[in-house]
Formats: sequence, C-alpha cells, structure tokens
Amino acid sequence: MRVLLRSGEGFVPPSSNDFELPPIFGDNAYTTKPILLVFLSVILISVFFIISSRKAAVVPSKLQFAGESIYSFVRNDLAKDVIGHDFLRFVPYLFTLFTFILVNNLFGIIPLLQFPSMSRVSFPYVLAMTIYIVFHYVGIRKQGALKYFKEIMFMPGVPKAAYILITPLEILTFFVVRPLTLALRLFANMFAGHLLLLVFILGGDHLLQGVIGLKLISPFAFGIGIALTFFEFMVQCLQAYIFTLLAALYIAGALADEH
Amino acid sequence: MTGTLNLVGFGLAAIGPGIATGLIFAAYINGVARQPEARSVLQPIAFLGFALAEALALFGLVLAFVL
Amino acid sequence: MAKREESAMWSIFGYLLSGLLFWGGIGFGLDKWLNTSYFTLIGLLVGISGAIYLVWLRFGRE
Repeated sequence: MRVLLRSGEGFVPPSSNDFELPPIFGDNAYTTKPILLVFLSVILISVFFIISSRKAAVVPSKLQFAGESIYSFVRNDLAKDVIGHDFLRFVPYLFTLFTFILVNNLFGIIPLLQFPSMSRVSFPYVLAMTIYIVFHYVGIRKQGALKYFKEIMFMPGVPKAAYILITPLEILTFFVVRPLTLALRLFANMFAGHLLLLVFILGGDHLLQGVIGLKLISPFAFGIGIALTFFEFMVQCLQAYIFTLLAALYIAGALADEH
Repeated sequence: MTGTLNLVGFGLAAIGPGIATGLIFAAYINGVARQPEARSVLQPIAFLGFALAEALALFGLVLAFVL
Repeated sequence: MAKREESAMWSIFGYLLSGLLFWGGIGFGLDKWLNTSYFTLIGLLVGISGAIYLVWLRFGRE
C-alpha cells in the first residue's frame, strides 16, 4: 500500500516516521495500532492461560503442557534461581511481565499484525516504572528507608574522600540509569529490528520495480529479510527474557541484606 | 538525506570495543569451562577488562554527541 | 549462575554511563557558564575514572 504510493517518487528509506501510525477508527487518538495490539495481547494471554489451566489434569493435554512449561520456566528459572527463598510472591508479577513482553514482541513477526508494540517507547517506560516502584518498595519494606538508602549511597570500606566521586554515581545509577536502560534496551531492540525488516522488505519491493538487473537482485533482499525475520524471533524472545531477568535481579538486590 | 558524520565515526569507533568485549568473554568462558574452580579468580579480571573496553565505547558515544 | 554475570555486566554499563553523564554534565555546564572549552573533557575523564574505580570496588577486589 505504502509502497505503491512511493513507486513513482523514488525510494524513501524507512525512518522513525514509519512508527507514527494513524488512528484506525476515525479521529480517536487512542485507537492506533500499537494500543490495539496491546489490548489484543492482553486478551490473547488471558484466553490462552484460562483455557490451558481450566481443565487441569494429572496427565496434561498439549495445551496444558504448553501453559505449564511457560509458567514453570518463569517460576523456576527466573524467580526461584534469582530471588531465592520468598520468591513466590513475585512470581505473578514476573510471569505477567514475561508473557506480556513476549507476546507484544512477537507481534513484530506475526504476519498481518507485524508491528512490535514495544517499539513505541512509552510502553517499555511504563513497564520499567512498575519495576522501579516494586523494587524500591520491596527494599524499603525489607530494610527500612534509612538503611536502604544508606546502603545504596555509601558502600563500606572506601576512603572518605572517594565518596565525593562515587556517591553521585551510585545515586544516578540506582535511580535514573537503571530503569532508563531497562526500558531503552527493550525499545531500541524492537525499534531497530522492525526498521531492519522494513529496510530489506521495502527495499526488495522497490528493487522489483526497477530495471531487469535490479529485479535479479531483489530476491536476495527478500531472502535476507526472511532470514532476519527468524533472527528477530530470537531477539524478541531474548529481550523478553532479559527484561524479566533484570527485573528479578533488581528485586533480589533490594531484598538482599548486603551487596 | 541529512545527518551528522559524528555518528558514523561513533559507529566505526564502536567496532573496537565490540570485538574487545567478545574476546574478553570468550577467554573468560574458555577459562571457566576448562577449570570451573577458577571462576572466582577469573571473574573480577573479566569484569574489569569489560569495564575498560566498555568505557571506550561509551566515551565515543558521549563525544559523538558533545563535539 | 550465568545470571550473575549478566546483571554484573549491565550494572557496569550503568555505572560507566552515569559517571560520564554526571561529571561530564557538570563539566559541560561549567563550560557554558565560564565560556571555556576544556571542562567538558576534564569532567568526562573524571567521570570515567570514578566509574572504573567504582567498578573495581564493586566487582574487582576479592
């Protein structure tokens, strides 16, 4: 559609404008594609896990097995390994985080949808904000506000003068850089991946409309586009995993008595 | 097309630290795989090497924006 | 076990970044204020050395 429009005017390389999608229903700014995809992901995840866990049996069906293996992956591999004892109350949160990010990322390569909603930066920001609230809240509850902040700012066994150099860095890392990089890593990966796919697919399409020599090259562009789609699948799963892993690690760090 | 050459320069400059980080962790993984009990000895060395290599990459990133 | 390394790597990254941002930012502000041009570089160097020192404190000394 967009390509037809461009065919007359030369190749327009994909840019960040390709992420500014117009509203789908009329003028309502709340019905852009990413927002609808987020709602769709919520519905999909809920339906999948309700159906897979409703008729739970000792000998699991295929669906139940799939649901349970995702759950046990988050529970054992992420929560139990990282947080240690008392991990059970964080499992629902981490599980929601993991499935939500995973499904939203996978929208990037599912045909017809093909837009990772996490490539709009506000969604990762909000997720990082929830983690921010959770791990500071947990840390303050566990150790008391004064001790918690003191432990962040002044690490023991350092000469007094070095605190001038170090304390601002600790504060900045803990309160700004950590949540920011958490959000930006997810965003940048999804953004760059989608842009990469757009370059090869749109570029291949554009080559197909050129002279005969260019037509011969375009299958290579499409081939690389398809290969990159599988690569993107890997990246999307990995990013969901890393996001959840780091969330669990931050919670574990806030819970730990000493660093 | 418009843009700044600084970012091209940063892209080129990031190759070096990228390779360095790869080499550092390749060596670290090799060492731990051969001798798992050496992990606690190797870990600080690997992290310090990583920090030094990463410092160069971030220095380049900041300079690309500042200059 | 590899999870510890993952988290350590990202916190090293965070320390280096915040070191550069904080002290480099102070240097940048001083440059704007005093109309000089070398405080940014000094600030960046101080920030990176502070961050590496912090990394050494956190992960390097065993």
